[in-house]
Amino acid sequence: MAHEYIPEISTDRDGTEHVVQGWQDDFYGGKLGFWLFMFTEVLMFGAMFLVLTYYKMLHPADFVAASASLNRFLGGTNTVILLVSALTMGLSLLKMRAGDVKGAKLMIWATIILALMFLSIKAVEWTAEYNHGVFLGLDALQSGNPHSKPFGEILFFGMYFTMTGIHGFHIIIGIGLMVWLLKRINAGKVSPEHHILHWNIALYWDIVHLIWVFVFPYFYMIGAASGGTGGH
Amino acid sequence: MIDYKSERVMYYKVLVGLLLLTAVTFGLPYIFEAGADLPAQMFIAVIKAWLILMFYMHLKGEKLISVMGIFSLMIVLVFFIIVLVVDVANFQFKDESHITAPQHTTGVTKHVTVPVKH
Repeated sequence: MAHEYIPEISTDRDGTEHVVQGWQDDFYGGKLGFWLFMFTEVLMFGAMFLVLTYYKMLHPADFVAASASLNRFLGGTNTVILLVSALTMGLSLLKMRAGDVKGAKLMIWATIILALMFLSIKAVEWTAEYNHGVFLGLDALQSGNPHSKPFGEILFFGMYFTMTGIHGFHIIIGIGLMVWLLKRINAGKVSPEHHILHWNIALYWDIVHLIWVFVFPYFYMIGAASGGTGGH
Repeated sequence: MIDYKSERVMYYKVLVGLLLLTAVTFGLPYIFEAGADLPAQMFIAVIKAWLILMFYMHLKGEKLISVMGIFSLMIVLVFFIIVLVVDVANFQFKDESHITAPQHTTGVTKHVTVPVKH
């Protein structure tokens, strides 16, 4: 059942009825508002990249050594998973706009499964790092003790866990948004005629992918040329 | 009404482009020395970002949002240059910094004698 917009009527002092302007169908306004929100995301991650670049300029050799110890196979696999998930999310919106609601829902489920795969791989990676003593709060990442890593590596891993952690948190929020979107589609609140929510959640998923496009080479690839272990 | 078939083909074409660029990302370390490939990696990332923005995020033809985005990025770029180039070149707070290795002072321990008050 499609969402039906019922206009609100107000009456002036002379008893004349007027239709109150509704903004539920303001597609461009909804989209522009969401873009403004996404600029705040870019600002947040942009500031973190600024800090990361600053640290790298102060400790270039430590950054290369720390990057070489990350698992590029798992990082690369996650990159491809996010790439494909951006496609499935885009196709879900395309199917919704074309009137294929069932196909759109299937594509959203595919995106959710890919997002869960991304998180699982990230969990495997973090667990391996934790088991090798490399995690926030452990001795290797605290300066001033015999097990400390070089200072630049401490900064690198601090930023690595912070940025990939916040990115992972965005993935979890994205899964929640997609589940909510499925509920709204089932309730008939999102339909081929009223799909701004679907459009904006697809945009959100794209910005999550876009951030990873920069996170991946910055952390995983700068030390790749030195050979490295390819992971903990 | 949207042209479903042509838009779907566009989505797959962009996917192929992104996958190829990801493959280039993995190939760059074989060309550059360790740590020297970051500008090239970021250049590839910018091309990937452009593809995502234009086609997946439908910015192609969106003048207002594109101008807003470019303007914001230019401001961030200027701050990047000012903060990184000027500040790092003149970094002078190593003794009290939390982003450089701690400066350990070794050797003499000072003993201060406090006069006894009567």
